[in-house]
Amino acid sequence: MDFLAAITPLELMLVVSGVMIGIVFGAIPGMTATMAVAVCLPMTYGLSLNNSLALLLGLYVGGISGGLVPAILINIPGTPSSITTTFDGYPMAQKGEAERALKIGIVSSLIGGLFSAVVLFLFAPALADLAIKFSYVEKFLIILFALTIIASLSKNLLNGAISGVLGIWLSLVGTYDLNTGGNGDIRLVPGFLEDILINGFSLLPVLIGLFGLTVILEEAAKGVPPEPLSHFKLGDGKPFRFSVFRGHFGTLFRSSAIGTFIGLLPGIGGSAASVLAYAQQKNLSKHPERLGTGEPEGVMASESSNNGLTGGALIPLVSLGIPGDSTTAVMIGAFTLQGLQLGPLFIGEHLDSWHEIMTNLVLANIVMFLVMFFAIRHIVKVIQVPKHLLYPLIVVMCAVGSYSANSGIMFDVWTFLLFGVFGYFGHKVGLESAPFIIGFILGKDAEVYFVKSIESYGNLAIFFTKSPIAMGLWVLIALSLGYAFYQAWRNHRRECGA
Amino acid sequence: MKRRLLGMCLLVSAAVGLAAGPAVAADKPISGNLRIVIGSSATSGDTYQNAAIIADELSKKLDINAKVDAVGVSAAFQALSRAKDGSTVMFFHDQSYLGHLLGLKGYDDLFATYKVGPTISINPGDAFVGVKDSKYKTIEDVIEGANKGERIRVAIQPGGVSEVYYGALKNAVKVRYPGKEANIVSVKTGSQGDKNQLLFDRQAEVIHGSVQANEQYTRLPGDDQKAMRFLWLPARKATIAQANPEGMGGTSREELLKFTSPNASVTLDGKRDFTFDKEFFFIYNKDMDPKIVAYLDKALSEIFAEGKVQVTMKKAFFIPNFQPSKEAEGYLKKKAAQSQKLIEATH
Repeated sequence: MDFLAAITPLELMLVVSGVMIGIVFGAIPGMTATMAVAVCLPMTYGLSLNNSLALLLGLYVGGISGGLVPAILINIPGTPSSITTTFDGYPMAQKGEAERALKIGIVSSLIGGLFSAVVLFLFAPALADLAIKFSYVEKFLIILFALTIIASLSKNLLNGAISGVLGIWLSLVGTYDLNTGGNGDIRLVPGFLEDILINGFSLLPVLIGLFGLTVILEEAAKGVPPEPLSHFKLGDGKPFRFSVFRGHFGTLFRSSAIGTFIGLLPGIGGSAASVLAYAQQKNLSKHPERLGTGEPEGVMASESSNNGLTGGALIPLVSLGIPGDSTTAVMIGAFTLQGLQLGPLFIGEHLDSWHEIMTNLVLANIVMFLVMFFAIRHIVKVIQVPKHLLYPLIVVMCAVGSYSANSGIMFDVWTFLLFGVFGYFGHKVGLESAPFIIGFILGKDAEVYFVKSIESYGNLAIFFTKSPIAMGLWVLIALSLGYAFYQAWRNHRRECGA
Repeated sequence: MKRRLLGMCLLVSAAVGLAAGPAVAADKPISGNLRIVIGSSATSGDTYQNAAIIADELSKKLDINAKVDAVGVSAAFQALSRAKDGSTVMFFHDQSYLGHLLGLKGYDDLFATYKVGPTISINPGDAFVGVKDSKYKTIEDVIEGANKGERIRVAIQPGGVSEVYYGALKNAVKVRYPGKEANIVSVKTGSQGDKNQLLFDRQAEVIHGSVQANEQYTRLPGDDQKAMRFLWLPARKATIAQANPEGMGGTSREELLKFTSPNASVTLDGKRDFTFDKEFFFIYNKDMDPKIVAYLDKALSEIFAEGKVQVTMKKAFFIPNFQPSKEAEGYLKKKAAQSQKLIEATH
């Protein structure tokens, strides 16, 4: 209990403030944990290292967790990593189980966060050594593995595949970024649009346009009657009981582990964690056909994995000096400005700071749980607000979120509107949003790692022969695809039989 | 009566407000918000850190709200082009003119299109790093290796300072052993993590890293796959000499000086060594009022005269280097001319 005694009242206050601010950022579509940390970074200049860590880790955990609130209540992922939470969380909310879904998400987040903290504490240096076995080739294969979820998520295999490919294609629009080792050339853009599309389409405006505005336009086309989002009154659906987790410890463990593992691989975005965890849940569930219709295990998989990411992303940060995700990348700045250097010797040379990180990470997860679990009964009332009042507010919020996504770029607001309209008309011709957005999220990284693998090794065979890890990943890709095709075939036969 | 009194009060308040407004504006060429856009979209890099330090100081000094926005190169230049009133300024480093010299899209001629503001600081930490168990133990070994016909892969981030360092190394081989420079080849990559990974995979012999990011790796035992060694620090000796004596991590300033010119020599023309300080500076809209330029110059001179900002910068291994706008422009033009020669020689 020594570590608890070391927590000062100021540190506790900073963790609580950080978690609360982070939750607000995470819950507003377009704002992310990364943004919360970046905005609050200058505040840490006047704080000691320990106090800075308390604030930043609070923001990190709060920001990642807050994304589940709009994902479940209004079907808009607050952060990219909560996309898969919408798949089952929102249907649960529509069935009158919003509070239950939120509480399942919060408990799963806590479990994922604590799991990753334990892994970080016990195995950080060893796992960092594992992480460096993953070169461009293995990272490309992991992304390819995550992309296989497109097959199992698609309502119609062909439409889903086309949507996924379209997502990948649109993610590549703009400059082949020098920051990723590209050549700075602009691709897939007609000459007269080069000035506008030089940086391509940003993820967050695309995400909230497709998930937020599209739905609102579809509702608007129906006339938006003055009724709430859910026809059920609060409390009508099944109440939350901890017993819901009975039989799902495997789900929680596996998804937390996937989140932590993806977190420890630098350069693979956080969204891949929840996508992979959800894909595995779908492949291993006893009732895969029910996933996507409001199954608690879908929310558990998504939320435990995206919080599992937090500790995972800190592993390369403290053991290699390399951030595991975009949020921990911002944290490097805080360490540098405190004159502290991260790298393979950090833990040994700065044992106090290391313990401080661990204490604050655990504390932030507990505070997140307490704040969200008990505040949720008030937040959930949002689904009782009539649609004709709620929707305009959501549009304004999304527009503001899009504008702030890249620190005030007006084109991002146009992107949000464009993809909202694109989604509206796209759905009419069979476009599937989930495969599209997964393709969009993973497309850019897939390209970079594919091209860099070829540049480094000079041949395609390297993808199959590089290492036992690469071969193992091919087996997983084949199994995942095989299972998805088998499921599609079984469903087709069932439909034909009916 | 009450209504009339209230009306009078409102009128007087409005008149006072109107009168005071221009007085304040005349007093202070900029007030309220100052948006500092940076040419990087990362909030983790040295550009953001230096910008944030100086924004914090300006906020206090001028009683304004100076906010750093990491919008990236093209968005930053676009925002700057629209802001003639001084409400938005840009903060970036040498890449702002190198991008144009290297022919990259999104970069105009800095000196012709914009107004160069004061220089603020230097990141002296850029370093060329190799694997500890490699046969290339010094930058001289690398140059000699190229002479012997060995293919040496150097991992760089294209399109900026990194490419200039790579060009300098290639040029040094060309000057000393003409025709052998083709043995120095670039591996274009992105983040620090990616460059480290290339070393771990032995897919590069040398990477462009930094003292801040790689110093701990240089202290790992030689049999560790991750162990690295410094080969060359392109910063000037005089710049590194200004760092705190304790240097960075477990490597003292004296030890770091062993990797700077003349101890680690990368010749420019056979007589002089190539050195390069990665400089951070402000960039203004071409039509920004000279009064604002002078106002910011004065504020920054006072901030640096107080001496506190230097302590903050040095703690983060940055070297303060304030030069008012006029001097800064001449200085950077000279630097750009030297870089242009190098780029022409190696491209």
